[in-house]
Amino acid sequence: MTLVFSLAIASLFAAGAYLMLKRDLIRLIAGMIMIGNAANLFIMASALRRGTAAILPHDGDDMADPLTQAMVLTAIVISFATAALALVVVYRVYTSHLSVDLGELSLAEEEQSELDEPRSEDIVETEIEEEVEAMIDEALAEVPT
Amino acid sequence: MNTAILLLIVAIAAPFLALASGAIHPRLVPHVSLVATAAAAVVTIWSFWQPDSTYSTTWISVYDLNFYFTLDGLARLYALLATGIGFLVVAYASRYLPLHLHHQHRPESDQTRFYFFLLLFMAAMVGLVMAQDLILIFLFWDLTAIASFFLIGYDQQEEESRGAAMMALMVTGITAVLVLIGAMLLHREYGTWSLPEIIAHGDLVGMTKWGLLLIAIGALAKSAQVPMHFWLPRAMAAPTPVSAYLHSAAMVAAGVFLIGRFYPLMQQVDWLLDLFLFIGFASMLVGGIIALTRNVLKHILAYSTISQYGYVVFMFGMGGEYGIKGASFYVLAHAIVKSALFLTAGAVSEATGKKNLADIGGLGRKMPWLAAGSGMAASGLVALPLTIGFFKDELFFARATELGQPYILMDVLGASLTFAYIFRFWTHLFLGREITSPAPISRWLVWPVVVLGIITVVGGIWPEPFTSVASSAASISANKVADIHVHYTFDPIPENLMAIATWVCGLTIYWTRKRWWRAATGVAHLGERVGPAHWYYRGLWGLNALSDRVHDIEVRDLRSRVVSILVPAGALVAIAVLVTPNSNSFEIGAFGQHDFALIIMIVAAVVSGFVVMLLRDHLRLAIGLSCVGYSLAGVYAFMGAPNVTLVAIVVETMTSLFLIGMLVLMPSSILRFETQAKVDKRTMPRDAIIATVAGLLVFFVSWGALSRTSLNTEVIDSQTALTEAVHAKNVVTAILADFRGFDTMGEITVIAITSIGVISLLRSGRLR
Repeated sequence: MTLVFSLAIASLFAAGAYLMLKRDLIRLIAGMIMIGNAANLFIMASALRRGTAAILPHDGDDMADPLTQAMVLTAIVISFATAALALVVVYRVYTSHLSVDLGELSLAEEEQSELDEPRSEDIVETEIEEEVEAMIDEALAEVPT
Repeated sequence: MNTAILLLIVAIAAPFLALASGAIHPRLVPHVSLVATAAAAVVTIWSFWQPDSTYSTTWISVYDLNFYFTLDGLARLYALLATGIGFLVVAYASRYLPLHLHHQHRPESDQTRFYFFLLLFMAAMVGLVMAQDLILIFLFWDLTAIASFFLIGYDQQEEESRGAAMMALMVTGITAVLVLIGAMLLHREYGTWSLPEIIAHGDLVGMTKWGLLLIAIGALAKSAQVPMHFWLPRAMAAPTPVSAYLHSAAMVAAGVFLIGRFYPLMQQVDWLLDLFLFIGFASMLVGGIIALTRNVLKHILAYSTISQYGYVVFMFGMGGEYGIKGASFYVLAHAIVKSALFLTAGAVSEATGKKNLADIGGLGRKMPWLAAGSGMAASGLVALPLTIGFFKDELFFARATELGQPYILMDVLGASLTFAYIFRFWTHLFLGREITSPAPISRWLVWPVVVLGIITVVGGIWPEPFTSVASSAASISANKVADIHVHYTFDPIPENLMAIATWVCGLTIYWTRKRWWRAATGVAHLGERVGPAHWYYRGLWGLNALSDRVHDIEVRDLRSRVVSILVPAGALVAIAVLVTPNSNSFEIGAFGQHDFALIIMIVAAVVSGFVVMLLRDHLRLAIGLSCVGYSLAGVYAFMGAPNVTLVAIVVETMTSLFLIGMLVLMPSSILRFETQAKVDKRTMPRDAIIATVAGLLVFFVSWGALSRTSLNTEVIDSQTALTEAVHAKNVVTAILADFRGFDTMGEITVIAITSIGVISLLRSGRLR
């Protein structure tokens, strides 16, 4: 069974990793959820013993390891919380950029940063313009009226 | 009462008292600081009549670390410098600092910070000189670097002082790490952190020499020795009291103190002594020559400090009885006269508003007390008779005479340079034509100088108290009883002839200055252009550029940021898998009779996972994803975990609803764009390869880990027994609610924070 579990964990992880490499943000979240599933399955598979449910009173059969179950419960809930938050962030990205595509978003970001920081040539140009204007003003002031 | 612990408490309490009084009223701070430093100085002076005292108590027993302090001769000497000169500097600062802040339009409350860090520096110094545990030595050593960073950068609105503070921290902080490594090497060889035990061991074993070299490098950097001297002149950007304190009595003195502390070990390594000789002489020359060419008052004194500590290092390099005694005596004499000269420079600049030697002259008539006080100090530095300085050079020459001609020449050369630049400094300031007429200044800016000047002369007439202080310090460095006796003789002994030669040479250098001026400035200029400072800046810029580039790579978009974290992490895991001995550790595992259903559910989960990967439509993606989740819930059900199954079903339902709700909120055009986007021919195989590699890695890691689970299942039984004890029926819920309640609370907190995040993100409307 160890081999089967490992194969399953690895397949889920690989599928999740593949999805995470997509440009679509929703697929990225799907990949995240999938990797979370793989991790949960790993925790469950690491039980010291498999057996019947850990509920008392218990008859002679072997009881399943309750500790890993408790841990995986926490893990499931936390991965749900992070997935929900990530989904809302994607929605937020959509409302502000009208896109959920990573490629488009990086383009938009670059454009924005160029808008924010004026290029050095522009600065020099405006400075020269200002200087020229000041010189014209001076020359005009010297003209006798 | 144990004097060591008393001094430590007084010194460590001082900065915090200053801070507390600053909270009440800023004006109180100078008074409280003055009282605190006076108390520390009194305790130090009182300790000279007390026997050596030791205090030791366990700190971290696992690592064999102790709070181990000894107030011995060496510690007394440096503690006297730190507290005594600290007291005078605080007295001076009490008048200087308000003027300084006034010039810069800063509030009076800024004073608190100054006194806090100045006193913290004093405390660090006092702790350092008494510490006997290698780790304690390192801690206090680093604390001095941190305090000096804040003091040098005190004028934080000035870019120059910020840069200077950074440079001092970089040079002394990086080399402090070398001290730590050196301490660890010593610990590795001797198995103890206690320095006295290591010294008592006698022989040098194994890597000890290299550890000592690292410690020596740290010490030389702190003492601003060539080629790590460039931070000191720039640190002059600090207010004058800081310069006077750090650069005469505290910061740079800490470096030679460390050499003195480790000297019993270091003197056994011949090449280390040769290194001291070489670096000491280089510092004497470089410092002396550049000091001759400088015009800014504090820069002259800064380069002078480099050259003077070069003497001390040189004396440690020469070794022998006179060398060690001379080094201790030299540090004492130099600290007194150099702090006086620094305070003079500050007072003169305050009175005239000028910092440049060319703009100041002939102040002697208007400021007779200052001229007299600093004159005494200056003649102390150039070793005129009837000052304490005469004896410092006397010991220096005595050792050189023992060693032979080359040493005599080097000594006379170094001392002549000192004579020339100090002669220039003092005569230009106080003699000749008056250039800028001085404004009246507070008496508190003058009397510390006069006191130090008088001490210089008293030491020249009655040297016994000073020699006894230096003797007891030298006894520690030499690790045997050393006794210094000095007196005047009028016979033509070599020492006297060397002293006369020094004065003649010094005056000659000064009067022929027009001939060599250009050559010397050329050397100084060359040093700036290709010297260590240049390499420091290049290194700094290089690092900055590298960090910019990494930053660019990392934050360009989300994917590359994730990659920059995950790829190194994955690589580390891969290395771990490769280097772990794996032979015969992979097990296929036993199949039970009920495992058939389990395998079917696992296959269902994996198949739906692969299907999700290929689906293009978003709604089908959501459904496929929930298929994976529900299949996994089934897997858990067949693993004897009903609790997990129920939670997994609930959570999966919620996730699916959430995802579908999200898709409903977004217009179909956006989603269609993604659905109909062509599969990129270039990235598809790349993504597939990355995913496969990741999957293989996870496969080997998880198979290796799962094959090696513990066989000891006692913990299950103990949890069951505990559950019975708390009258619960379900072991899993008992663990969650009772035994690991804090984890569950953390989990609930995460959910709460996430809910708040989700709600606030959804409610704030469109950004545009």
